[in-house]
Formats: sequence, structure tokens, C-alpha cells
Amino acid sequence: MNIYLDAIVVLLTFVGLLFFHGTTVGILRFPDFYTRMHAAGKGDTLSTMLILFGFAAYQLHHPSTATLLVAGKIIFIAVLVFIASPTATHAIMDAGYESEIGAWSAKDGFVSSCLIRKEKGE
Amino acid sequence: MKVIAALFSIVLGVVLLVAANDLPIWGDPESPVSVHLSSYFIEHSVEQTSVPNFVTAVLADYRGYDTMFETAVIFCAGITVMTILRRSHRLRKKNVPPRPVREGQDIIICSAARLIVPMMQLFALYVLAHGHHSPGGGFQGGVIFGASFILLALAYDLKTVLSRLKEKTMMLVSGLGVLVYAGIGVLCLFLGGNFLDYSRLASILQVTEIEARSHGILGVEVGVALTVTCIMLSLYADLASGGEMDEGL
Amino acid sequence: MEVNSWVLWQFDVLILLMVLVCAVVALQLRDLVASAISFGAYSFFMCLLWTLMLAVDVAFTEAAVGAGVSTVLFLGTALHIRRRAKD
Repeated sequence: MNIYLDAIVVLLTFVGLLFFHGTTVGILRFPDFYTRMHAAGKGDTLSTMLILFGFAAYQLHHPSTATLLVAGKIIFIAVLVFIASPTATHAIMDAGYESEIGAWSAKDGFVSSCLIRKEKGE
Repeated sequence: MKVIAALFSIVLGVVLLVAANDLPIWGDPESPVSVHLSSYFIEHSVEQTSVPNFVTAVLADYRGYDTMFETAVIFCAGITVMTILRRSHRLRKKNVPPRPVREGQDIIICSAARLIVPMMQLFALYVLAHGHHSPGGGFQGGVIFGASFILLALAYDLKTVLSRLKEKTMMLVSGLGVLVYAGIGVLCLFLGGNFLDYSRLASILQVTEIEARSHGILGVEVGVALTVTCIMLSLYADLASGGEMDEGL
Repeated sequence: MEVNSWVLWQFDVLILLMVLVCAVVALQLRDLVASAISFGAYSFFMCLLWTLMLAVDVAFTEAAVGAGVSTVLFLGTALHIRRRAKD
């Protein structure tokens, strides 16, 4: 029983750390603001939630009222992260778009956002 | 000028580091604090106040006088910022360029704020009421409650918040918080004890003296939370709108 | 040291270094908004440090006031005054 639980905890935490690694690489290596925020928002949310679920599972080693309560609180934090983190990413992205930060495209490199708006006909 | 400042801070840092050498090492059981002070509170706070979290017991009971004036300091800070910054539209300086205002509100951010704000306020009340048993208390609860209003102001705008919590109400409630704190102290005085000696409340509350101290701590924490909530929101409203109370960030 | 052997002392030093880095960055940045964000990060590391010292109440206050509200207050102020610092 305990060994399976341990395996689940280690697996969740490891996959979470793997996604964190991907997020970091994405933030460092992606070419422009929008793609970097894309990496940060998605990877950060998923990896934080995976690691938090791992922590919650770790609490179940000695099931009692106290540990179940702690696990429940950790799940609450995961729900909060699931709501708040993508919203924060959206807010930052939106602020960047409003203040006309340029984007990168594979065809013609770095484009300022005035051109993007012109193409969209705004 | 910058060189002088750097030199000054380096000298100060070295002096502080040298002084830190004389302090007892962290968590040293032989240090004076651990021998005389901490052990007393750890051993006696539960039997004297029936509050398991002795940080709260020390903060609101043993040194309740300090905490009362901390609350008063926060109140004064809010009043000062309001006095300096608050101004009406008539006095607006012409040379300040108006900041670009976005039309409409972002539906994603507003929906998320609608989900999060009630949870935050519930958590703030939990922190306030559960300060006897877990980390927390009036100050943290009040800050979280104020932050929930600030989040509302960030997601919608300042007018939405100020229509729910009028500026006049805000300042009245922040004063009321200090009044609640000092009032409980004076009540103890009238009941024949010292200032802030909560055990005298036992005759009113119909409980034992030890439980009365616990209830007194809760009453005081509510006062702190009222003040801190309203002052945090008032600070944000004054600072973010430049004292005009028209728009947030 | 025996007293805090439940956690690696290297972890303490790492967080202390991050506190220092955040403080220096917050002072050195020209952009006041970025400086405020860096100060928020400083508060978070300070909060971690308090937690490591088992001063959970102080850590809670630091997280709520230092990292939460005061960052917003700094941002609100920074947008109203000249955004770039002179020195």
C-alpha cells in the first residue's frame, strides 16, 4: 500500500518538476513576449498543480482527520492556482498587447504590433 | 552622492554584522530569551488565557498595550495619506496628462475576480477567527480582507468598490476599530481591573476568568481587523487614484 | 548546528542569497515598476526565510503585507510619479 502511494507521490512530483523545467526553458528560449508568457502560463499552472497533488497524496500515508484536512487545504490551494495563474497570465498578456509590444513570426522575424493591427484591419 | 550612500551602507552593514556576532546563536537554549522569557509564555499561556497559539496570546494579551498603539499607528498612517493626497476634481492640476483609460472591462479577469473574492473574504474571516489556534489573527485577516477589495478594484474599477464601501464609511469603520480596542480596555478599567485586563470581562460574559481572556483577545482582534481592512483599502484608493478617487490603476 | 538540522543549511544560505539579489536588483533598477515587482519577490523570499525559522505568524504577515498589499501600493504610486528614477 505505502509503496504504491510513494510511487504516485514521486511520479506526480517528478512530472511536475519536468514541466517546470520546460517552463523555464520556454521562458529563456522563446523569441518574444507572447510566446514566453504562453510557456510561463501553461507550464507553471500544470506543474504547480501536479506538485501540489503530489503533496496532497503524501499526506495520505497516515490517514486521519488531521492529515485529510491538510490534504484538503492543499487541494484548495491547487484550485486557487488553477483559477488565478491563467488569469494573471492573461492579464499580463493583455497589458502587453495594449502597450503594443511586438511579436515574432517565422516568416519575417520580429514585427512591431502596429503591423499586426494593420493586417487585422484595426 | 551615490558613493557616499554606498560607503555609508557598507559601514553600517559591517557594524551590524559585527554586532550580530554578540547575539546568541539562533535557537540557543542557553540564551537569556529562551531561559527566562519564552519558557514562561510557552508554559503558562494556555493555562492563563486558554489560547493554544501563544503568539496570539502574547500579541493581544500580554503586550496588548503595544498592539493597541500599533493599530493606532496604522490608523494615523491612513489618515495622514488621506490628508496629504485627497483632493477634489476642482483642484486637479492641468499639467498632469490623463492616463489612457481602457473602454470596458476584461471579462476573463472580472469572472476570475468574482470567483476569488468571496473565497478570499471567507479565508480572511477564518484567519481572524482561527487566530487562537493557528497562525493568523486580526492583522493578517484584516490585510487579506482589504486585499480582496483591492483585487475587486483592480479587476473592475475603483468606483465599483467605492459604491459598495463608501469613503466616509471606510474612515468611520477604521476609527471604530481603534475604538473597539480601546473600548474593551476601558471596559476592563470600569469593571475594576487594569487597562486591557480581559479577565474582568468574566462578569459580563458569564464565563470563567481564563475564558474571558480568550474572548477578550478575540474582541481586540476584531477591532484590529476593522482598522486594518479599511486603512488598506483607503491607502490603495488614495495612492492609486492620486487622491481623486475616480479611477484605479 | 544541531538546532535546525531538520532542513539543509545550504537551503538557508540559498534563500538568503536570493534575498540579497532581490534587494540589490530592486535598488539598481531604473524602472520603478520593475523595482516594485523585485521588492515583492524580496518579500516572498523573506517570507520563506521566516518559515524556515518556524516563525509562521511573521511569515504570514510578511506574505500578506509585504508581498501582497505593499507591492500593489508601490505600483499605484509608481504609476503616478515619474516612472523612471533619475539615478
